[in-house]
This record gives sequence, C-alpha cells and structure tokens, in this order.
Amino acid sequence: MSGQGEARRIAGLGQRSGVAFTFDGEVIEARAGDTIAMALWVAGRQVLRASSRDGAPRSVFCNMGICYECLVVVDGATVRACTTVVHDGMRVERGGRP
Amino acid sequence: MNPERVIDAHVGVVGAGPGGMVAGAMLANAGVSVVVLDEGHRPGGQIFRQLPEGAANRGQIAEPPSHHQGQQLTGVFAGAGVAVRNGATVWDAKPGRLWFEQCGESWLLRCERIVLAPGAYDRCIPFPGWTLPGVLTAGALQVMVRGFGVVPGRRALVVGSGPLLLPTVTSLLSAGVKVVAALEASSRLGAVKALPGVIGNRSRLREAAWYARKLLAAGVRLRWGWTVFACEGDGRVQRAVIGKVGRDGRPRRDTARTIEVDVVGAGFGLVPSVELGLRLGCGSRFDAARGGHCLTVDAEQRTSVAGVFAAGEICGIGGAEVAMAEGQVAAAAILRDLRGTPVPDALRRRAAAERRASDAMLRAFAPLPGLHELAQPDTIVCRCEDVPLQRARQAAALHGSSLRAIKVGCRAGMGPCQARICGPSLQALATGRPVAMDVPVVQVPVKPVCSATIVSAPPG
Amino acid sequence: MAETADVVVVGGGIIGCSVVHHLAQLLPRSARLVLVDRGPIAGATSGSCMGHLMVTPDDAQEYAFSSASVRMWRELHERAPVFDYNPTGALYLADTPEDLELLPVLQQQFRDHGDEAFVLDPPQLREREPGLAHDLPGALYYPGDGVVLPMLGAGAMLREAMQQNVHVDVRPGCAVHGFDRDGDRVAAVHTGDGKIATRTVVNATGVWAPELAGMLGQPRLPIYPRAGNLAITGHHVTPIRTQLLEVSYLRFAHGVAQVDPTRTDGDPGGHAVNMQPQTHGGCLVGSTRQFRGMDRTLNRELLHRSLQRAQRYAPGLAAAPIVRTWVGLRPYAIDKHPLIGPWPPVRGLFIAAGHEGLGISLAPITGLLLAQQIAGLSPAIDHTPYLPARFAR
Repeated sequence: MSGQGEARRIAGLGQRSGVAFTFDGEVIEARAGDTIAMALWVAGRQVLRASSRDGAPRSVFCNMGICYECLVVVDGATVRACTTVVHDGMRVERGGRP
Repeated sequence: MNPERVIDAHVGVVGAGPGGMVAGAMLANAGVSVVVLDEGHRPGGQIFRQLPEGAANRGQIAEPPSHHQGQQLTGVFAGAGVAVRNGATVWDAKPGRLWFEQCGESWLLRCERIVLAPGAYDRCIPFPGWTLPGVLTAGALQVMVRGFGVVPGRRALVVGSGPLLLPTVTSLLSAGVKVVAALEASSRLGAVKALPGVIGNRSRLREAAWYARKLLAAGVRLRWGWTVFACEGDGRVQRAVIGKVGRDGRPRRDTARTIEVDVVGAGFGLVPSVELGLRLGCGSRFDAARGGHCLTVDAEQRTSVAGVFAAGEICGIGGAEVAMAEGQVAAAAILRDLRGTPVPDALRRRAAAERRASDAMLRAFAPLPGLHELAQPDTIVCRCEDVPLQRARQAAALHGSSLRAIKVGCRAGMGPCQARICGPSLQALATGRPVAMDVPVVQVPVKPVCSATIVSAPPG
Repeated sequence: MAETADVVVVGGGIIGCSVVHHLAQLLPRSARLVLVDRGPIAGATSGSCMGHLMVTPDDAQEYAFSSASVRMWRELHERAPVFDYNPTGALYLADTPEDLELLPVLQQQFRDHGDEAFVLDPPQLREREPGLAHDLPGALYYPGDGVVLPMLGAGAMLREAMQQNVHVDVRPGCAVHGFDRDGDRVAAVHTGDGKIATRTVVNATGVWAPELAGMLGQPRLPIYPRAGNLAITGHHVTPIRTQLLEVSYLRFAHGVAQVDPTRTDGDPGGHAVNMQPQTHGGCLVGSTRQFRGMDRTLNRELLHRSLQRAQRYAPGLAAAPIVRTWVGLRPYAIDKHPLIGPWPPVRGLFIAAGHEGLGISLAPITGLLLAQQIAGLSPAIDHTPYLPARFAR
C-alpha cells in the first residue's frame, strides 16, 4: 500500500515525520500535518461515508470545510475529515449509516 | 489559562485570506489590537494557500506571478504580530461579538469592530454522477496539490467556468497529473468582449499570459463552449461524458463524447460566503455576475451594521487583488474611526479600480442558465439530504417557488452544508426559471458545531 | 365573472392540508376546493416544529382522539410512503425516585384503554436504547408513538387529495385580505389572486387564526403563540434511536399553562426534554415553551438549558453536530383544547386551529372531524369538546 501511497505524493516535497492512525480499524500511515481526508486519499481510501438516504458512497468534495460530505467519526465525535489534522493513534471511522 | 474562554480585542477579523491578512496586518502595525479567526490551519486562505510547514522544494509547484504577492503578504502578516486563531469555526455573531469553536472548545471574541473577510466557495452545478467519489470541486483539487502536495489522480478533467479553472489546470500539471480535458462553458466570444475592461490592468494580463504559456507547454488546450454532461463509474468516477454547450450553456447532446478519467475538478465560478454577514444583519443585494448575494458596503467598506466592515469576496467575487485593496480600505476606515485620520484617496481609488477590472473580467463568465439542463430528473441536487431534481421540482410546484418553500417541500438545503452547495442553483433548478435566489435565512449555528459547543458558549 | 369555490381553506399548514385531504374524499365529485396560504405550504408552524405522533392516555376522550389520529398517520404512510415516518415508540424517562413512581401510573392509564406500555428497569432500558446515560433509574416504553416529517406529510396529504375526483387548487404565496358577507354568512374571500365567491371558509391559520377572525369582525379568538426553541443534529451521528421524553414533559406540556398567555413579558419560559430521531439519522432536540407574542428570535439561554438537559439523558448528543436552531410558534388555545367546528356567529365559517404542540399528531383526526361537519356527516368520534362555540358567547 505504501508504494502506491507515495505515488500520490508530489515528489521532492521532502521527508516529514510520520504518524499512524486507524480507519475502520485498519492502520493508515500519514504525514504530520495531513488532514484525515488527505491522508486517506493518499492511502487510496476515498469513500468516507455512506449518504444519508440512499447509502451511496461519498468522498471528499470541497476539501475546504464547506460541504460536509467528508464527515467521519473520530473518538465518538463527528468531524470534517478535510479540516481535521491527523494525530498519532487517532481512531477514525467511516461516517453515515451503519 | 483562560477558563472563561473569552478574549478581547479592538478588532476581530474573520478570515486570513488576502483581505483579512491585509486588514489585520495594517491594523496591528498601527498599534490596534486585532484577533484574526481563520478556519484554515495556516494563514493564506484559499487563494494564497501555503504548503505545510517543513515541506521543502516549494518551487516544485508552479505558481503564477501573483503568488509572490501572497508569499510577501503572509510574511508581512506574520511580521505584524497579529494574534491568529487557526482552525476556528465562527458559528454565531452579533455586533461586537464573535462566537467560535476551536479544538472542540467554545470561545467568545469580544471586539468593538468586526472585519468580515470569509472569502468564497465553489459554485456547484449538479450533473449526473457528480456525487461519485473522484468528482470534486476545482477548489478541492487546488487544496490537495497546493496545500498538501497530494496527487489527486492520473487523468483529470477540469471543467466549469471562470478564471479559476486555469490555476486548477496548472496545479494538476505540476503534480504530474495528465489533464485530459479543460473545459470552459462560456463562449470565447464573451471573453474577447470582456478584454477591453481588463486591458488596462497589467498584473491581470501578466497573469493570463503566464497561464497561457503553461498550458501551451503542456499541450493542454482550454476548450471554450464545452462542459461535462455526466460522470460515470462503478463506485468511483471512471469516465466523463463531455460535449459542447450553446451560448446560454444549454447542452448540445449531439456533440457528446466519452473520455476516461479518474478525477474531475468542477467549478462554475465562486459564491460569496455571506452567511456570517447575514447573521449580523448586514444588508445585501443579489448580483449574478459577482456570484450571487453580496454584502452591500460603502466606499469605506462599511456594511449597513455599525462596527461591521467587509472586504473581498463577501462583497462580490473579485479575486485577491480586490480583497487586498478592500482590506486596506477597511483597516483605514477603522483607523479613521479611532484616530480621525482620513482614509487615503489613493486606497479608495485603487480598490475601485480593482473592482472595475474584476467586474470586467467576470462579464466574460456570466452565469449560464442553460447549464441547469445538465441535471436529469434522478440527479441528486442536494447532496446532504439526497434529494433528486424531480423531488425538488415537485416541491416547488406544490409548496411554492420561494427558497423556503422548496426547502420545506423536499428538505433540500436542510443538511449540514446549510445549502451552501445546492442553494445557489436550487431555486432555478426546482422552478425551471433562471430566478435570482432568495436571500437565505441564516440560522445559528452559522456552520454546524457540536451541541456541547453551543451549550458551553460564553454568554455575551 | 368571479371565481367560485365550494370551500376555501385558509392556512396551508398541516391542519389546513388535512382538512383539504378529507374534504376531497367526502365532498361530491363536482366540488371545488381552494387552499390558500400567504407563505409556502407547511412553511410556518408546520415547517418549524417537531413531528411527534403522540397517543395521550389522560382520559377516554383524549385517548380516542389521539390514538385515532396516530393510526390515520400510519395508514397514510402505508398508502403514500413518500414522507419520513419513524415508528420509534416513545420512552418516558425517569430521572428521580418521584419520576419512577409515576411510571406505573402512566402505564395504568394506557392499560385503562386496553393499550399496553412497559416499565423498563435500567438493564432493559439500556438494551432498548443504548444511547442513554447509564445512571437512569427506569422508563416507560410505549410502542405506539412515532415521528414524522410534517412538511413532507402535508405534501402527501395534498397529493392524495388531488388524486380524488374533486377539483383541488393549492395556492401558496396567496394572502387573504378580507371577506365579503351576505348578512350573517360568508359570501367571498378576497385574496392576492383576486376574489373567490364561496359559502364556506375554513380558518386553519394556527397562531394567526385570531387575525383572520378579526377580518370578519369577530372578537379575538383565545389562541396565543407559545414559542419553542428547537435544534436538529446532522444526519451522520444519531445519538439515539428511540424517541425520548422526560416524565416531567407530560406535566410541562399537557397541563393548562401556569402563566398568563395574554401577556408577552410575564413568562420566564420552561423546558422538558423531547428528542426525536428521524428515519434518515437526524435528531430533533426540544422542547421549550414560552409566551412572548409573535417574537421568533432565539432565546439562547432557554435553548442552552434545554440542550444541556437533553445531554444529561443522551450523552452522545454533546458531540453531535447541530445543524440548525430555530423558533416555532405553537397555537395555544386557552383551555388546552383545539377549536374544531363551525363558528356560529358567522354562518359558513369554520375553525380548525389551536392544537398547541400536538398539531402534527392531531392533524388527521382534526381534518376528518371538520370535513365531516362541513359535509353534514356525523362525526367519527365525539367532537363536542372541541367545538369553537364554547368561546362564541
């Protein structure tokens, strides 16, 4: 996975210290300073929630905190994945209907 | 440290984009206490977005000439010693008071004056498949590349209308993404007609020339009078159907063709973020060319509410140059209130000139009502509440054609984005008429915050 | 030639929609019905309230009235599942030993009408509703209640009415400016769209019913706006799955008000928890009550207290995003009974208004009882407690 992940980073932006968090239990490596949405995008995890009525997959859309499409659950609280910076050990779960 | 979670400053600035940074720095340099509240994690806003700290080799990402201004400005801003609250979501306001959430805590900023510079967001026009993962706003791709150094995909479609399509293309190119198509819905003729208004503005011309060179070098041609008809794919976007549109934006279905893409950036211009201004009771007017509802301000950037100033996109889409010029005027007007020093004519003239140039450019990208024919009866118009177009139409037919009637009739616009995404197109889509959108009723919270934040808000 | 109608219903809230819904079924097929509202359909009180379908077991009359209406809502949803209906039941939550003693009393009330409700101990309570605080002493579970989205429900009623053989004309954005009378009887309605000649008018304008009555030269109807501050969470996290009411809600909401509703400055306001999970995941949080005229500005302090109290029962609410807060105005009738029936001083004038916080729940039975009276049919249940004539002296 990490190889594919690095392909989703622009080369030459320098090494930065890594952090790890879980997404629906799966360990995801990220860079410090990444938002949850960007770390998951790099990891190839685009689907962040199921839509409220028809359950269709939804992903990052505006990436600037406007559309609330990327809502995920972090330690019980609903947050926007695109505005929330990842921390080491964070537990992130997919949003939407169970 | 501050168990009451109340802070005081003379001026509270909302937004650390070009307008907010200029106003904040100018006031701080004049010795006025300022607190800037910004939802981003670093100053810059959307247009002057900075790469994460520690990211080396920033030159890797192609930046147009204007970006040097941004770097300069963020430097000046940092040097001015302005107190900045990053990651702060302002969720309620009244004159002299701004309530915000930061790191899950509920705060109150007490300030005698407020400068609103919250910027803008992408205008969305629904088309079949726009809810598929991999279809994003043009602005979202900019954030990905320029804010985080993330490669959005391998093959991209950039589509929409307005001057921000070009920076989206160049950002993608510098991230090594193949831009399969870059489609501008407006006609080239409109752009030519708008040229005389821009011609006197050298920086805008220099900027345009820079983009033209970049696209030429990459072999990407901006196609005028084209747009996306639909996105398709199994669980994520894999194909896009594109085609020509008429002068009014109406799709010409006979020209449809399919291209393979794995990421789409769509932006049909920008919408001013007026919500906080409306919550404060500021007067507004509808200006379709400037993106919709805009706060009305006088020549000193004063809104209709005493002590509340506004600068940049919230007064109508205008871009960074306008925002910076108006931010200066707003700061100068506050200094006038405090010290009696008049607002320099030169500042006002510059702001007015930038507005004229920007308005001239926007004329080339006037909203195209025919683009509302992209959505099909089963196309979702409200992404939050999963409302398809046909339900919105039924609601307008039965409950009434006002924004309120459509909302109660189908729940479109009642979700957490509070109609920021669907609202600007909702009435036109539901009524089938190119109507001006009603002034939205802004309720508390201005952006969603958790119940605990509301309950624990410091009284004020 | 002036437009004519057999019945003009004024007020496109849930009550007016229900009246039209039933008139369309009971009137002869050549009949012409017009529904007018100066705003959107279901855009005022019905668009800013909760959606509790509530069976009230206080006495035999109330039970028959409320349970018939909740059943009619269920049947409407079975025919037209186009509006959200969440058959969640209701948990009456105890917080104190005194509350706990009330649970069997309330249970017995349901049993007296041949219905059933269940007293739950703490483990049973947690199993029924995992989202509750763990220190609650118990609750009464009544399975018959539910939650609807009233605006979409109103639309469903009108669409069904339009499928009948009568002519139904729905006119949002059409205000009433006055009436013509022919002696002691209604002759015409003047609207923003012109004059409609009619011999039957229904005043279903809720908190605005006194204003409309005034246009006919009638004394002030004893209906007063009672404000409620509400909040709704985003649909992504549902703090609960069953509707919650604290036991004190019954005393708070269903008694005759302890303050003078005719004054707009004398009511400090109060609150009792009612949380309503919607089918798509959002959760309504209420409720507060305060008389202060037509003022619809938020009472922050009251709202905060009410949210805080709700967090005490459903701790997950604290971290749930609130999407919107607002104020709705309940049409409170001074003796706590709605006004349903003719207004004797003006022949041809009928009233259906004054349901306070139960307008959504009681809309179907109200529409039926009024339509039966207009059509000259005998009412489905005893309607005499609701006759407006009690105020016409």
